[in-house]
Amino acid sequence: MEKKSRRSFMKTLGVSIGAAGVVGGSSILNSCTQVESTSGDTITLLTSSGELVKVEKSQLKPADIPSLSENQKRGREGLPGKKFVMVIDLSKCRNARQCMKACQNHHQLRPEQHHINVLEMQDAENTAPYYMPKPCQHCDNPPCTKVCPVNATFKREDGIVLIDNERCIGCRFCIAACPYSARVFNWFEPRDADKYKGVTYNIEANVPQKKGTISKCLFSADRLRDGKLPSCVSACPNGVYWFGDQNEDAVTNGTTHETTSFSELIKTNAGYTLMPDLGTKPRVYYLPPKDRAFPFQGEIEQHHS
Amino acid sequence: MKKQFTLTLVIALMTVYQGMAQEWLVPDDQKGLTNPSEYNLSNVKKGKDLYMKNCKSCHGDPGKHNGLPLVPPPPDMVSEQMQKNTDGELFFKITKGRGGMPQFETTISEDDRWRLINFIRNFDPSHEQLLVDAPPQKAKLLASVNEVEKKVEIFAEVDDKNGSFVKLPNAAVKISAKKAFGNLPIGEVLTNAEGRAEYQIPETLIGDESGMVNIVVQLDENYVTDNVVLDAAKVGQPKPQPRLIKKEILWSTNENVQSWLLLSYLGAVGAAWAAIGYVVFQIFKIWRVGKE
Amino acid sequence: MEKEKSPEESRKLLDKITFDLTRSIVKRDELTNFWYFILIMFALVGLWGWGIQVRDGLGVTGMRDYVSWGMYIANFVFFVAVSLIGFLISSALHLLKIKWSKVISRVAEQVAIAGVALAGIIIVMDMGRPDRFLNVFLHGRFASPIIWDVTVVTTYLTISVLLFYLPLLPDLALLRDKGSDDIPQWKRNVYRILALGWKGNAEQYKLMAHAMRILMILIVPVGLSIHTVTSWLFAATLRSGWDTTIFGPYFVAGAFVAGVAAVIIVMYMYRVRYGLKDYFEDYHFNMMGKLFVLVCLVYLYFNINEFFVPGYKMKTAESIHLSNLFTGKFSTMFWATQLFGLFLPITLMVNKFFRKPLPITIISVFVLIASWFKRYIIVIPTLEHPFLPVQNVPENYQHYAPTSIETMITVFSFMAAILIITILAKMFPVIAIWEYAEEKGISREIISEPKN
Repeated sequence: MEKKSRRSFMKTLGVSIGAAGVVGGSSILNSCTQVESTSGDTITLLTSSGELVKVEKSQLKPADIPSLSENQKRGREGLPGKKFVMVIDLSKCRNARQCMKACQNHHQLRPEQHHINVLEMQDAENTAPYYMPKPCQHCDNPPCTKVCPVNATFKREDGIVLIDNERCIGCRFCIAACPYSARVFNWFEPRDADKYKGVTYNIEANVPQKKGTISKCLFSADRLRDGKLPSCVSACPNGVYWFGDQNEDAVTNGTTHETTSFSELIKTNAGYTLMPDLGTKPRVYYLPPKDRAFPFQGEIEQHHS
Repeated sequence: MKKQFTLTLVIALMTVYQGMAQEWLVPDDQKGLTNPSEYNLSNVKKGKDLYMKNCKSCHGDPGKHNGLPLVPPPPDMVSEQMQKNTDGELFFKITKGRGGMPQFETTISEDDRWRLINFIRNFDPSHEQLLVDAPPQKAKLLASVNEVEKKVEIFAEVDDKNGSFVKLPNAAVKISAKKAFGNLPIGEVLTNAEGRAEYQIPETLIGDESGMVNIVVQLDENYVTDNVVLDAAKVGQPKPQPRLIKKEILWSTNENVQSWLLLSYLGAVGAAWAAIGYVVFQIFKIWRVGKE
Repeated sequence: MEKEKSPEESRKLLDKITFDLTRSIVKRDELTNFWYFILIMFALVGLWGWGIQVRDGLGVTGMRDYVSWGMYIANFVFFVAVSLIGFLISSALHLLKIKWSKVISRVAEQVAIAGVALAGIIIVMDMGRPDRFLNVFLHGRFASPIIWDVTVVTTYLTISVLLFYLPLLPDLALLRDKGSDDIPQWKRNVYRILALGWKGNAEQYKLMAHAMRILMILIVPVGLSIHTVTSWLFAATLRSGWDTTIFGPYFVAGAFVAGVAAVIIVMYMYRVRYGLKDYFEDYHFNMMGKLFVLVCLVYLYFNINEFFVPGYKMKTAESIHLSNLFTGKFSTMFWATQLFGLFLPITLMVNKFFRKPLPITIISVFVLIASWFKRYIIVIPTLEHPFLPVQNVPENYQHYAPTSIETMITVFSFMAAILIITILAKMFPVIAIWEYAEEKGISREIISEPKN
C-alpha cells in the first residue's frame, strides 16, 4: 500500500536527480520519469532521451512537473515575453542526422516519425543539391491551427505551435492543411508505449505519445521552459542551428554556443523562409546553402515522385 | 523507387564505412607537397586564429584532448596520429574533408590552409615551438554598471606571482549581454595603466521587458578568473513585445474568434434550427387538430 | 390533375393504387430474406473491421503521414454527394413547379437520408480517436470547416427526415385505416403512432403544405452548404489540386450527377421488384434522363474549368499533380471517370433510346461507379504530392493503397446505405399514395375516409 501511494506520487510529480554527477552528469536525467519502483535502494527511471537507468533512491527529489491540468494550462500560455525563432544554416549541414536522432529519443518517436527531417533538396534541374533540415515552421499565420475543429492545436504567444493530445480527435485535417509536411500521426501504438505507461502527459514535449493523435515538432518547449536549447539544436555537431528569442534579437548556436544578433545573422547571410508565397510567415529561417562545408553525397530523388 | 531507396541505403552504409575506416588514403602526388607558407610566428598566429574559428569546435584545444566524442574521434593536434601526416597529407585532408570532417576548399583560402598547417606543426615535437601559450595567470575582475551614464566600469588585477594582486594594464576585457541561451558579445575594451576600463553601452542594446540587462564581463583565456555577471541594470532598450495573438484572428482559438464569423455561423445555424423548430411545431399542430 | 371521378370509380382506383404501392410493404419472400441476409452479413463484417481498426489504430489502413486522408474521406464525399439529390428533386424541382418529379420525391428522400446518415458515420470511422467524438461538441472551434460540416450534415439529415416524414402522414393514416390484412400487425401499429391522428381535414392539409413549403425553401441553402462546406475541407488548404476557388460549385454539380444516377437505379429496382411499371413510367425515366444530361453538362463545364485552367499554366506543383492525372499513375482512373462519368452519359443520353428504363439504369450504374472513383482521385493524388519531397520514410508512406480492412469498412458503408433504403421501402410506400391518387382525380375526402 505504502509502495503504491508513493509510486503514484512519483508519477504525477516526476523526479529529478538531486546530486550531480550520477551517470555522466545530471543534465540527462533532469527530466526523467519513473518507470517502475524496484525494491531496495535503487529505482528505474526513464530519461528524456528514452534510456532506462537505475539510480539510488536517496538521490531523488521531486521535480516541478505539475499535474495534467496545470500542465495543459501553462502549456497553452507559453513562456511570457519570448518569441522563439530558429535559424538553420544550410551551408553547414552534412546530413549527420544527430538532430533527427535526438528528437526521436526526446519525443518518443518511431523511426519513421520525424518531427525534424533532413531532406535532400534540389530547387531546379541545374541547381546544386543540398541538405535541408525541416522542422515545423511554427508559422505566424499557421494553416494547421486554422482548421483544427477542437482547439487541440494552437499557437502560443511565444510563437510555438503546440498540440494537446488529450483533446485531439485524430481527424488529420491539420496534416492536410500543412504545406510543409511537418505533422505526423500515431498510426500505431507509439514507440515504447509500455515504458511510458502511466506517465503524466507533458503537453510541451508531447510525451507520452498517444495512438490516434497528431504529433509534430514543438521546439522542445519543455526544454525551453528549463532554459535549455531544443534537442535538435543541442545535438547538432556541425553548428547548423541557431535558436533564440526574437524579441531580444539574439540567437545562440547549439554547437558552438556562440550568441549573435538574429537580425545581423539574417541580414549578412541573406536568410529566407520557406515558401513565403504561401503567406504562412514561418518562424524558422534558412541561411542559403552557399560555400557548403560538406560535399553533397546523397542521391537526389526525383521530387514529388 | 525501390532502386533509389537501396541506393540511398548503400550510400549511407558507405558513409558509415568510410567513417569507420582508419585508413585515409591520400593520392601520392598530393602526399609529397611541401608547405609554401613559411614556418614563422606570424603565420602560426594566423593559423591559430583560423583554428579557433574552424577546427576547435570538433578537435578541441590542442593538448587538452577535449575534442567532440564522435566516431571516429577527431584527433588532437598534439597526437601522433595528427603529426605523422606529411604536410601534403594534412593539406589534402583539410581541403577535401571526409565523413564528419568538412571540406574547407571553398571556405578557407589555399594560403590560409597552409597557415593552418603551420599552426599544427607548432605542436610537432620535431619543430621548434614558436607560439608558446604562457600558463594562464590568476586575475581578479571587478565591474559595475553606471545606469545613468550607461557605462560599465571595470577594474582588473593580476596575481604578481608573489601572492598579491596588482593592477592589470593593457588587458582585453570582453563585454557581453546575457540572453536567453547565451551571452551576446557587445564590445571589447582595453584596461589602461591603472587597470581600469570604461565601456559605453550602445543605445541599441535590448534588455528585458523593462530594459534590464545582465552584463557579463570577462578577460581573455590568458587569465584565470571568474566571469563577472552583473546584476540586471536598466541600461538597455525595453524588449519589444509585439502581440502575436490578437483578437479576431482566424487561426487562434475560440476566445479570439472573428466576430463576423461567429455571428454568421450562429446566425445561420440559429435561423435553420428555428425554421426546423417551427416545422416541428406545425407537426405538433397537425397532431392537435387530429385529436379534436 | 385529371377530371374528378365519381366516388365509386375513385374508391376502386384508390384501392388499386394502394394495393400496388403497398406491395413492397407486404411482400416478404425468400428473396427479401436473402437480400437482408447479404446486407447485414457484409455490414457486420465491416463493423468487425472497424473493431480491429479501433483496437490497433488507423495503422491498419493504407493511410500514412503523407496520404493521411484516403478511401474513407473519398467515400464520405461520395455519400454527401449522393445525398444532395434530395435537395434537387424534392425541393428545387418542386419549387420550380415541375410536376413529373413528384413521384420520385420519396425515392430521392430515401437516398438522401441514407447518404447523409452514412456520411456522418464514415467521418466517425475515419477519426483516430472516435472515443473523443464528443470533443467536437464540447470544444468545437467555430472557425474550423469540420465544425461547419458537422453542423450542416446534422441539419441536412434532420430536414431530410422531416421532408420524408411530412408527406408520409396522409399515407400513414390511409394505411392505418385501409391497409389490407396482409400488412403485419406491428407495422400497422407503427403507422398508427406515426400518423399522429391524421384525419385528412382541410386544416391538417393546410398545415402540412405550409410546413413543407418552409422545408423546401430551407433545404436550398442547407443543401448547397452541405456540399460546399465539404469542398472547403479541401479548398481551405494550400495544396495543389485542392487550392482552387471553384471547388464549391464543382462539388455541387458533381453531386447532382451522382445523385441522379443513384435515384435512377433505385427507381428501376422498385419498378422491377415491386411491379411499379405504371408508376415509375418510361416517361419518368425519360425526364430523369434529360435532367441527367443537363447536370452532366454543367459538371462537364466545371471539369473543363478545373483542369484546363491550371493545365494551361502548369505551375510547378500543379503540373506534377496534373501530369499525374493526365498521363501518370492515376491516368487510367482519371480518363475512365471522365469517359464513363461524363462523356458517355452525355453522348448516349441525348438519344431517346438510352433514356429508356433499362439502358439508362445501366448507364447510371457506370456513372455512379465513376463518381465514386472521381472522389478517390480528388482526394488521394493531391496528398501523394506535397510541396516538399517525401523522404526518409518507408516505401508504403510514399504511395497509398487501401488495405482489406479499409475495403471492408467501405463495403460496410454501402451495405448500410442500401439497408437503410431497403428498410424505408419495406416500411413505407415508395411513392406518396395520396399525392398520386390526387393526381388521378381522387378527392381528399375519399382518400381520408375510413374503411367501409
